[in-house]
Amino acid sequence: MPAVRKLSAQGLAVGLPSGWEGRIQKRAVTAARETTHAVVHLANFALPERRDDFGGGVTPAMRSPDVFVVLFEYGRESVGTPLFSAQGVPRVDTTMFDSKRLQRPLPGQLGCQRFFTANGRAFCLYVVAGSRAYLPRIISEVNTVLADLDVAS
Amino acid sequence: MITTVLVIESVVLALLVLLVAGLLRSHAEILRRLHALGAGLDPDGSVAVAPPRALDVRADAGSFVAAADIDGAGLHDDATHIAIVGARHRTMLAFLSSGCLTCQEFWSAFAGAGRVDLPDDIRLVVVTKDAAEESISALLRLAPAGVPVVMSSAAWVDYEVPGSPYFVLVDGESGRVQGEGTGATWEQVKNLLRQASDDADDSSREARIDRELRAYGIEPGDPSLYRTAEQIAPRSRA
Repeated sequence: MPAVRKLSAQGLAVGLPSGWEGRIQKRAVTAARETTHAVVHLANFALPERRDDFGGGVTPAMRSPDVFVVLFEYGRESVGTPLFSAQGVPRVDTTMFDSKRLQRPLPGQLGCQRFFTANGRAFCLYVVAGSRAYLPRIISEVNTVLADLDVAS
Repeated sequence: MITTVLVIESVVLALLVLLVAGLLRSHAEILRRLHALGAGLDPDGSVAVAPPRALDVRADAGSFVAAADIDGAGLHDDATHIAIVGARHRTMLAFLSSGCLTCQEFWSAFAGAGRVDLPDDIRLVVVTKDAAEESISALLRLAPAGVPVVMSSAAWVDYEVPGSPYFVLVDGESGRVQGEGTGATWEQVKNLLRQASDDADDSSREARIDRELRAYGIEPGDPSLYRTAEQIAPRSRA
C-alpha cells in the first residue's frame, strides 16, 4: 500500500495511500485576538464537506472498514506542557483504541487520542476506527500514513 | 406641406429606430456566440467552452484517458486531495468555470439540496481551474453546499478537458474512466448517463453470460443454444 500523493499546506505534508483523501486547512479567525491553527482530516472514504474539527458530521456515516484521522494543532503556548510532552509523530496500536475514547460515541466505533509535539508544534492525533473487526488493517494503514507525515517547524 | 414633411420625417425616424434595434440585436448575438466560443468580453469568460459532445459511456473504457486523483485547493484556503482511483464509489467530475455562461445552468442545478439526483454510488465533485484563472468571489457565491469544489488546473490537464462544462465519470474500484462528454443541461447529462449506463450494463451482462456458458464448454454459436422447445422437450421427458 504505497503512499501515492503528498498533500501539503500549513507546514504539514502527508502521503496518502490509494483510496485515501484529505484536507489541510486553517479555520478563519472569527473573533478579535483569536488565533487558529492547522487542522488535518484524512480518511479512507469520501469526506463530507460539512465537518467539525473532531469528526462531527463525519463519523455517523462511517462503515466498518472506515477510518477517520484528525491532526489538530494547538497554539505555541501548549508546547512544553505535560500533556504534549511526547516528542515526535506517534504510531498507534490496538491497545490505544477504545469506545470510551470517542468524542462522539457511536455503536461499533473505537477511538484513539494521542497528544504530542513535533518540531516545536503541539498536536492532538485523533483516530476513529469503524469497527474492531477491521482494526488490524486500519492500524496498519494509519501507521503507514503517520510514517509519511512531515511537520515543518 | 408641413404635415407631409412631418409624416416623412416620422417614417424615416421609425425606419432608423428599426435599423438600430436590428443592429443592436445582431451585435448581442455576435457577442453571445463569441462568449460561447470562449472569446467573450467578460474577464472571467476566457475559459474555453467544451464543444458539444454527448456523454459517452462504454463498457470498453480503454480509449479514455487514465483516471487520476484530484489534488488542488478548496475555496477556504485549504489543501485538498480527492480520492478517485481506489475509491469505493464512482465519481462524476464536473469541470466547470465561474465565468462560462453554459456552466451557470449546472451551478444552479447543483445549488439546491437533493437536486443533484445521481445514483447512490456516484459522488459529484466540481473541478475548476486554479485560483489564478478563476474568480474566487464568484466561486464562493456559486459553490453548492455539500458538494466538493476543488481548484485544480492540473486535473484539467490530467483528464484532457477541452473546455467547460465537461463531465467525466470514473469508476473508483477499477480506476478507469467510464465515460465523458458534455451537455446543455444537468437533466440532459443525467439522462445520457442513465441511457449509456444501461447500455453498458447490457453489454457487461452479455459478456457475463458468455463467460458462464464457456465455463460449461458452450461457445458462442454452439448448436445447443439454438434448439427449439420441441427439440428440448422429448429429451427432458426421457
